[in-house]
Amino acid sequence: MRLSATKLFTLLALTLSGAVTVAEDEASVTSRVVEAYIEMHTHPGRNYPVFYVAERGETIELLKRRTDWIKVRNQRDIEGWVHVDAIGRTVNASGQALGFASPDQDSFSTRHWEFGFMLGELDSTDAITGYGGYHFTPNLSLEAAYTENYGDFSDGKMFTGSIVHQMFPHWRYSPFFTLGGGMRETNPRSTLVATEDRSDGVASVGAGIRIYLTGRLMLRLQYKHYVVMTDRDDDEEAGEWKIGISAFY
Amino acid sequence: MENRYQRVLLGLCLAAATLPATAQDPIQVVEPQLERREIEPPAIDSENFEVGFFAGMISIDDFASEPVYGVRAAWHLSEDFFFEANIGLAEADLTSYEKLSGGAPLFEDSERDYQFYNLSVGWNVLPGEIYFSEKRAFKSDLYLIAGVGGTDFLGDTWFTATVGIGYRLLINDWIAWRLDVRDHIFNRDTFGDDETTQNIEWSTGVTFFF
Repeated sequence: MRLSATKLFTLLALTLSGAVTVAEDEASVTSRVVEAYIEMHTHPGRNYPVFYVAERGETIELLKRRTDWIKVRNQRDIEGWVHVDAIGRTVNASGQALGFASPDQDSFSTRHWEFGFMLGELDSTDAITGYGGYHFTPNLSLEAAYTENYGDFSDGKMFTGSIVHQMFPHWRYSPFFTLGGGMRETNPRSTLVATEDRSDGVASVGAGIRIYLTGRLMLRLQYKHYVVMTDRDDDEEAGEWKIGISAFY
Repeated sequence: MENRYQRVLLGLCLAAATLPATAQDPIQVVEPQLERREIEPPAIDSENFEVGFFAGMISIDDFASEPVYGVRAAWHLSEDFFFEANIGLAEADLTSYEKLSGGAPLFEDSERDYQFYNLSVGWNVLPGEIYFSEKRAFKSDLYLIAGVGGTDFLGDTWFTATVGIGYRLLINDWIAWRLDVRDHIFNRDTFGDDETTQNIEWSTGVTFFF
């Protein structure tokens, strides 16, 4: 990730000027094979053929990572892709195992970032949400969400921020509570007699469950209850059910 | 009275605390050597994001087929799954009725802007390799994709489901050529009744991994 910005600039530079000068100032990361052998695949994927095996004692250079695969180069300049778990069993110069591993339930309970999208019903209209969250402790996280809902009489757009508390971060089925607030914009349908767009504050309370699936993926189910603070005499209340898929990092 | 309650409670607590101590369980003196995974992996470049642009044709239901263009961004979660966000633009022409009747147009020009956006999950169902020569093979993926989003069209925003199939051919480690067919499905009541519209997009594009 650290190099990605450099890559992006390189990309821009390439497309703009056509200059092909890539500064390789980064010190290379190497490791030594201590198992009997490790398998090198032609491309990053379990179905791609193994075309070379690096033997015990060989030193390999780690070039880049794509999902759960690491591109390596050995001393004879042969390049191939090795699964991250196999790299995790190689050692560095001081004989220490490299801390690489594919994401598992352990990484799920210690995640820092999560992003996902959800689909459901907000006050009996179709609604979709995209959200991102940062976990600053295993139990507490802050989330920002953008929701759109599409009704027969009006569309709505909603920006909310919430604080989310999960009681049992190490559980595979991890329940949570959430409290939040934000803004909602309502646009009446164009087929109706013209009414003004309006914008109101909202407050929400909710609960749900995250379920670890596999790799970086989790399923998320939640219910939120919103209070829309309108300018009229009565505040509106709305219930929202959502199901979604998220990934963590 | 309060004193007595306290005494009873303290007594109970003491009894509870001493119970496990008196049990004849073997005491574990030596801590088992646990393999701890606290080593920070060395920082190497990871290329899990893919961004790019696309251009093609979209057949807008009740209107004609029009050029469409846009941008895509994907996050590869594993070799099998990825999340993708898309934004696309097209502009609808007159409906067949408007052309034939010769009357006043039904919609303003700004309402004819067709704009879609969605969030999708993709599944690389058939990863493969294609051979250009004896020694040169390129990685390819045939993927299925499904998502939800919105379409701004004819003055309203419509809830839209997207399904599609696509092909990605990696020219090197980080440049890919893509070919996509997607159906954007939404219900529209612009012409009175609620009707389901299928808007099929054909597109090709180039993406970059970083």
